[in-house]
Amino acid sequence: MIRHLFKMIWNKKKQNALMLVEMLVSFLVVFAVFSLLVYNYQNYRRPIGINYENVWVINYNNSDLDQSLDTVLMVREAIRREILALPGVQSASFTSNNLPFSMSQNNNGLTHNKKFLGMVNHYTSDDFYDDVLGFPVIEGRWFTKADLSSGKFEPVLINESLKQAAFGSGSALGKTLGDPSPSDRPRRVIGVIGDIKYKGDYQAPEYAMYMRADTGSYRWLSRIMVKVSPDAGADLESKMFKLVANSLKKSNVEIEHLSEKRVSRNSLALVPMIILLIVAGFLIINVALGLFGVLWYNISRRKGEIGLRRAVGASSNAVSKQLVGEAVMLSTLALLIGSFFAVQFPLLKLFDLPADVYGYAWFYAVLFIYLLVLICAFYPGKQAAAIHPAVALHEE
Amino acid sequence: MLKNYFKIAIAVLKRRKFFTFISLFGISFTLTILIVLAAFINNIARNDYPDRKRDRSLYILLVDQRNEKTGGRNSGPASFYMLDQYVSKMKIPEKIAIASVFSATNTYVNNRKLSINVKYTNDAFWDVMEFDFLEGKAFTSQQINNAEKIAVISEDTRDDYFGKDVSAVGKYIETDNEKYRVCGVVKDVPITMMYAYGNMYLPYTVSKRDVREKGLTSDYTCVLVARSKQDLPAMKEEYQSILAKIPMKGQEFDKIYSHADDFVSSYTRIILGDGMNSGVSTLIIALTVFAVLFMLLPTLNLININTSRIIERSSEIGVRKAFGASSTTLVYQFITENIILTLIGGVIGLLLSFGILTWINASGMIPNISLSIDFYVLLLGIACCFVFGFISGVYPAWRMSKLNVVTALKTV
Repeated sequence: MIRHLFKMIWNKKKQNALMLVEMLVSFLVVFAVFSLLVYNYQNYRRPIGINYENVWVINYNNSDLDQSLDTVLMVREAIRREILALPGVQSASFTSNNLPFSMSQNNNGLTHNKKFLGMVNHYTSDDFYDDVLGFPVIEGRWFTKADLSSGKFEPVLINESLKQAAFGSGSALGKTLGDPSPSDRPRRVIGVIGDIKYKGDYQAPEYAMYMRADTGSYRWLSRIMVKVSPDAGADLESKMFKLVANSLKKSNVEIEHLSEKRVSRNSLALVPMIILLIVAGFLIINVALGLFGVLWYNISRRKGEIGLRRAVGASSNAVSKQLVGEAVMLSTLALLIGSFFAVQFPLLKLFDLPADVYGYAWFYAVLFIYLLVLICAFYPGKQAAAIHPAVALHEE
Repeated sequence: MLKNYFKIAIAVLKRRKFFTFISLFGISFTLTILIVLAAFINNIARNDYPDRKRDRSLYILLVDQRNEKTGGRNSGPASFYMLDQYVSKMKIPEKIAIASVFSATNTYVNNRKLSINVKYTNDAFWDVMEFDFLEGKAFTSQQINNAEKIAVISEDTRDDYFGKDVSAVGKYIETDNEKYRVCGVVKDVPITMMYAYGNMYLPYTVSKRDVREKGLTSDYTCVLVARSKQDLPAMKEEYQSILAKIPMKGQEFDKIYSHADDFVSSYTRIILGDGMNSGVSTLIIALTVFAVLFMLLPTLNLININTSRIIERSSEIGVRKAFGASSTTLVYQFITENIILTLIGGVIGLLLSFGILTWINASGMIPNISLSIDFYVLLLGIACCFVFGFISGVYPAWRMSKLNVVTALKTV
């Protein structure tokens, strides 16, 4: 049966070659789209790791750097105190500007046990960061006042991904992270927290390391995150704004909401995906119509042959089966060639996607193309089956 | 002759309506997507409100300081100090507009929050950027020198802050905890016009950041306007010679990379370019590759359909060949027919993209943008039609011309 179908296709190789190329290109397009979708969906399914509702972000710039460090610290401490005194404010934390859903990044390569692990995001914040963002510490604890900035070791927290990469499944507490370097104190892990998706819902896991802000950091920290009660409104916001603007006279101040920042950060990932889906959807409709048209046309051209088959005893079912089978055979050939190209992506590591994403994408793409071909071949096949042998042979 | 081809083409189109629909669907949607994309790029590259002197202007955006020995690097928009101290001494430019990159500030009116993007400017900014003033006028160099708290605001800001179409000149607007007197209201600029966009324009002298800070990078951009287009290359050179004169005495950096670019290069340099390469060629290559890949499937589809349709006409071809028509004539005829088909699809595509662009403009997805199909986009659309029609016509026509007269006639 399969050999026969193959022969039928081979006999019209010139005409089928074009169809084959079209199916092949469609497969590659669908494969690319599914890779992206699967990848984004896998990321989307993982929890975001923080509670971003009712968290406001105050942006300011350090315009008082001509002052002494003591003055700078005093002003920052006063701001923290006054913000916390506002009714409706639950917690406040000074942090580096790479906060959740922002465009800023701060990362460095990390070598651990002489092995390069990759880039690690560095976050600098104070003792209230976990409080404001509402995430639990899985193992160990968050920073406290006891973590002095002058100890022999620098206390750090790391996220789950980094822990897995550096220490495997065992406990990381009290271990030293990274190979010794002449410029930094050795870093000692005091806690592990879950992965946080800083770049929005569609972000892949990244390594993260948290460091405690020392007194010198306050010269460059430029964000305050404030957790407020759910009923806080523009009234509280304008008070907070006035307070910071009056304390830092020469600074521009802006207040943003973390939940809004999340929406705009997500749209950065969503908009290209939606555009891609629209374009791919249009291409697929186009291909489907084309396949349908060509298959339909071919059948009307093969009326004589079909009539003859019917006359010598083929049932109408067998005829339609054969025509659909031919189309499926052709698409199988296209998929075989397409899979050869597709398998190069994980083998050559062309993009930084995990191999199972390609696996799923390949499966869905193959399924999709078969479905498409079946749908397109089904109606023409039925048409052919309905051909009456007497009428068809009469035409000859 | 052409008239005949046209008649035949229309007759063929009418014959198998389903096939015609598939062909037209493919052509028109492909073109629609390409035209919408082109309109976006065209809008960014060519829409010139309020920047009407663009063809004789150069733009300075980034100053990249490097230490060639340690690999240290500091890159960012220029500082006011650098532009004022060095660039403003340039001889060739007729005008030098200096303005900050917009920065967001908050204001609270009637228990409602407004986010206002503020831009600090010098007085030449108002000569270089030809804003349409709805009321009032720009601030003068006298007012800048006196550091008057005075503001030009955009139409949107006026509508949000004072109410729709309420006159604002002479009134006070508060933002970032300061009060400013409104002296003018201008028509909105879309955010894609980085050098002119803002909701509120203030004299640079009232900036909270000290403009006398001596570093080369801060947050200012600059537009140099030459007297004529011919002066542009000389102006670029003059900028480089000015950069060479900036003292780097014992500082942490030893080399400055910065460029006075034309408008498009100044954008592509930040995304695709680096110190040396402007990135325009990279952009063009990337766009061409995308367009070709994107058109590949619809073209294959069209070739498939056309091949099927030609075989349907084998009797007609056989007869014509038997009466002496050469293969070239037939090929020529078929390609013409195909181009007519694509042109019809092109017209539908144009109508569709016109609808989509109108929808995008009206939806406010990108505030104040007004996408349109201008001459260049139209030209591109027609060019695409021809290429599309030609490519998808050549292979089927070639197969048709090879048809043997006897077999062709036999199938009748």
